[in-house]
Amino acid sequence: MLNRQRIPFLATGHFFISAILFPVRNSFLFVAMIPLASAFVLTATPRSITRSLQAGAPSLPQQGQPATNVPPQQAAPPPGVPPQVAQQPPVHTGPVIVIDPAHGGTDTGARGQSGVIEKDLVLLMARITRYALEREGFRVVMTRNDDSNPSYDDRAAIANAYRDVIFISFHISSTGTPNTAWAYFYQFSQTPPNASAITANANTLPITPPRTTSLLGWEEAQRPFTAASHHLADILQADLTLRFSGSPAAASGVAVRGLRSVAGPAVAIELSNVAVSDANQLVAMAAPVATAVVHSITATRPPGGQSGIPGTR
Amino acid sequence: MPRNLKITLAILSVAVLIGLISLRSLHRRITGLKENPTSEEQARRELLATTTSAPTDARTQARIFWAAGPDRIAPVQVALALSADPVKRGKQVLNELITDAPAADQRTLPADAVVLGFYILPDGTAIADFSEALASEMPSGILSEQMAVDSIKSTLENNVPGLSRLKILIHGQEVETLAGHVDLTGFFDLNPLSAQTPSAPAGNPTPSGTKK
Repeated sequence: MLNRQRIPFLATGHFFISAILFPVRNSFLFVAMIPLASAFVLTATPRSITRSLQAGAPSLPQQGQPATNVPPQQAAPPPGVPPQVAQQPPVHTGPVIVIDPAHGGTDTGARGQSGVIEKDLVLLMARITRYALEREGFRVVMTRNDDSNPSYDDRAAIANAYRDVIFISFHISSTGTPNTAWAYFYQFSQTPPNASAITANANTLPITPPRTTSLLGWEEAQRPFTAASHHLADILQADLTLRFSGSPAAASGVAVRGLRSVAGPAVAIELSNVAVSDANQLVAMAAPVATAVVHSITATRPPGGQSGIPGTR
Repeated sequence: MPRNLKITLAILSVAVLIGLISLRSLHRRITGLKENPTSEEQARRELLATTTSAPTDARTQARIFWAAGPDRIAPVQVALALSADPVKRGKQVLNELITDAPAADQRTLPADAVVLGFYILPDGTAIADFSEALASEMPSGILSEQMAVDSIKSTLENNVPGLSRLKILIHGQEVETLAGHVDLTGFFDLNPLSAQTPSAPAGNPTPSGTKK
């Protein structure tokens, strides 16, 4: 079976080929052989190795790691292994779970004095949650799987590409009671968001006409799903409260920008906080949070089952 | 000694004397600045604060909402000379919210933030314009940003009558988020008529004390 153990073997082969060709490096043969040797090594490396690395046990994020949105269930079976019924990937007829590790790139998010950086921890948390969800048969897509920083709209667009989707965004706060977890859903104002043209000069304020179209605007894509998001956030918060004492009993309605343009049930989870003296305290919260996410989603939307969330598609 | 050389030496001597006098005064000013470090934002706030209260303003008990723990806010009774004009009154209570927190850990808005403007439209929409420090010095996180917004909302609701909704601007411009999380592109409802889902950090505030 092709796995990580073969990588050192291939690397050693590459080294020997390079060593043999070193004395003749100025010759035409050397120039011709280098691409051939490289091509040999590259073609000998199966794509499944890359996939198994990306979908294997979660590891701390690394700089420059390529993004992937392909769930491991879609990977081809390793060569030499006959297909078995037990190893067939589950059929995904339930919702697609889009996991959103907040921040990334130059946007580090909250930073603790002990060196805790929000963007790295939420990525780790997202990978652990993805692993837990995939084990339950859910199809999972991540908005980022590296140190990139997609815009709010790019993240929402990934979710909105699917007809039936649940969006989970991970955050870590810089304040709040340590070792608590909060679930949020987007709460819209009762008044329409027509303030885009407002300036500080009250004399020049335009009167924006009310919307007359029945089409749903991108900026308000979350509005029809507010009840569904609230329902999911409450279930999630109840589970989180059982695992982290001191957490609130009910989910909070807050205008979290990252949720506004998602056309589906969307919640944000925020853990407290980056001010801990040891980053392991936050890392230790990742597995219980992942379990809480799996439980809450399974309670409302079992894979392949019917929606238990009001207002879902 | 030639006459021209004498004149040149005299001019140079006068210039050196003036330079020495200037250096002494410059040194005194630098020493003074070191003793009283005042940021540009603080200087602007002091300048604006002097214009927000008038001798005719009546002294009343204002309810200012500061942090009452790591994840909740609560009102504190503060004796303030508040104007009868809602616009001036709004600016006064927001200045109080920023500048006079009872303790550092009760602060919900950055100390360097400045209320650049406060306006009320005929429909009851309040527009609060803050300096960039509100966004740039705000601790990152949904909880901290929501506590900041809730403290502004609750302070205005409890001290300025007739407001229906709030729009927060940064340096006269609409911004996408406060510090990366809470959406500032829309309005925040003030004095909602019907019971709504509480926005948790400020939910069910209880009086936590009296100041002054």
